[in-house]
Amino acid sequence: MAAVLTDLFDPLLLGQALISGILLGLVYSLMAVGLSLTMGIMGIVNVAHSVFVLLGAFAAYQLWESLGLDPLLAIPVVFAVFFVIGVLLQRLLIRRVQDESQSTGLLILFGVLVAVESIAILGWTTDTRVLSADYGPSIFIGDFIIGRSRLVAGIISLVLVAALHFLLTRTRWGKGVRAMAQDRQSATLMGINVERMAEIVFGLGTATAAVGGLGLALVFPFTPQGHIRWLAWAFLVVVVGGLGSVRATLFAGLFVGVLETTSGVVLPFELVSTVVFTVLALALVLRGEGLAGVQRRSI
Amino acid sequence: MRGLSSRAWAAVLAVLLVGVVWFGIVAELGIINTMGTVFMTIVVAQGWNLLGGYGGYLNLGMAVFFGLGAYTSGILSPNLPFWVLVPLGGVVAALGALIIGLPSLSLRGAYFTILTLIIGFLVTTLAFNLDFTRGAMGLFVTTPDLSGEATERLFYFTYLALAVASIVGIYFVERSRFGAALVAIREDEDASAALGIRTTRVKLLAFLIGAGAAGIAGAIFSYRIGYIEPSSIFSLTLSINVVLMSIVGGAGTWQGPLIGVPLILLLAEFLRVVVTRLEVFGTGVPNELNRVVFGVILVVVALVAKQGVVGIFRKPVGAEMNPEGDVTGVAQA
Repeated sequence: MAAVLTDLFDPLLLGQALISGILLGLVYSLMAVGLSLTMGIMGIVNVAHSVFVLLGAFAAYQLWESLGLDPLLAIPVVFAVFFVIGVLLQRLLIRRVQDESQSTGLLILFGVLVAVESIAILGWTTDTRVLSADYGPSIFIGDFIIGRSRLVAGIISLVLVAALHFLLTRTRWGKGVRAMAQDRQSATLMGINVERMAEIVFGLGTATAAVGGLGLALVFPFTPQGHIRWLAWAFLVVVVGGLGSVRATLFAGLFVGVLETTSGVVLPFELVSTVVFTVLALALVLRGEGLAGVQRRSI
Repeated sequence: MRGLSSRAWAAVLAVLLVGVVWFGIVAELGIINTMGTVFMTIVVAQGWNLLGGYGGYLNLGMAVFFGLGAYTSGILSPNLPFWVLVPLGGVVAALGALIIGLPSLSLRGAYFTILTLIIGFLVTTLAFNLDFTRGAMGLFVTTPDLSGEATERLFYFTYLALAVASIVGIYFVERSRFGAALVAIREDEDASAALGIRTTRVKLLAFLIGAGAAGIAGAIFSYRIGYIEPSSIFSLTLSINVVLMSIVGGAGTWQGPLIGVPLILLLAEFLRVVVTRLEVFGTGVPNELNRVVFGVILVVVALVAKQGVVGIFRKPVGAEMNPEGDVTGVAQA
């Protein structure tokens, strides 16, 4: 215990954990922001969110391994492809059940999760993969070390999250989306094509999830079955940050990233998941009801 | 669509029961084993059905309670006899449900579902890391001192008895005030609360009873299999399967698991045999192909066959008031 406490107050370790945590947190917020948007704006609990994170990671991996395409250059490709997938998913599946209970949508997306995950295991096996793109040696700032891949992943995430924030708060289209989140029927009456808008929001949700997966693949090794952990992390970010607000999701992502790396300093590796799951369960119990209450007036 | 009368159902079930008992005496070992699993899964699925089907609260963590039962009997089997451990497994699982349900059942719809999913991950990581579960090394349980065949037949009939009990239990719940309260919560929770139903208490009771049933099934399971470890006992597959099977059969009906469980498990068995024979994907993958098919079935059922298979045979309740006949067992968020 004494050793643990010394570790905790070792400024070097703690500072290092903070830096890693902030960069990681940026990636988490990109990974989770789509979940927050689809829940907040459309009221859809997308439990299949993490399979798009997973597919994004594997898409980047495959483009790098087969074509030698740098993950940075793969971003537009991944973004575009998963945007289309999200639009199709909304148009073909989710729209059909949007007037029914939330659980029907939940079931459908859970079916998507099970099917896609299994296909990924069939295609890529359960082996652990590493996206081995190399962005040069780590950067030293004083005594602190910053891995380039992690830095790259963090910057990409920050740029995309910021872009999404401006899209939703500063543009006419974003105003329409916020109107839809507040009151779907009135928005329709005001001449907003909510069906179209929902498709684009869902497309953006899956596209950001996939690029978030690409970012995670730059930081962590990954497996097809391991995405469940990312699902839990994404829900944690959303529950901490609340629904539909990009800025709140960003801060929540940073919180989760720092929580993970600092608890990694003081706790053995296998307990980190336990801590995060426990925090999530508590956060759900304490804030879940409140979240459900704000669902309709988010952003 | 005309439904079957209760007399017709009684006749079908009587014939089925006689057939199943006869089958348990004469059939060969392999199929006895599969059918034992079918009966076991019916018990867990009926346990899920109570809160998930009638109450409309989608619980994706039934494996947690099954696992609590299995680990109770697994850990205490050197100290206590079988007939104490089986009910004890149920009690421990129900206590677990109390701890999870007390704070979480005031959550509505989707948040409860997410929480059950997360609790599943949490319990699995705990089982991997705690001392008394012996982590990934798992626990050995002394199986009954009988020949392999006699053991399989023993568990076939044990689970058959439990499955019959769970089906009868759910049948009477469906006709009770308790069942009506659950359905009312599913249809409109605010209105039921306004009408004087103690919604949280009713939900909690359904959760506890369902968890207890799963715990009993799990406590017996460790004696059946002889070795338990976290990834097979707390498997997400079991949690998914009971939901899928109940919904395919018809969630929120006593016949749902009875129809859905054999249908899906036998389909899985069929896929396993066929795919192994074709060797499309080589070795070790057919299980994943099953899950692809199950995922697709889940999507299709949720999209088109909202009442499940039982919808074909069952008179829709209050059909004239509610032409959609929504008995999918899903809550309004």
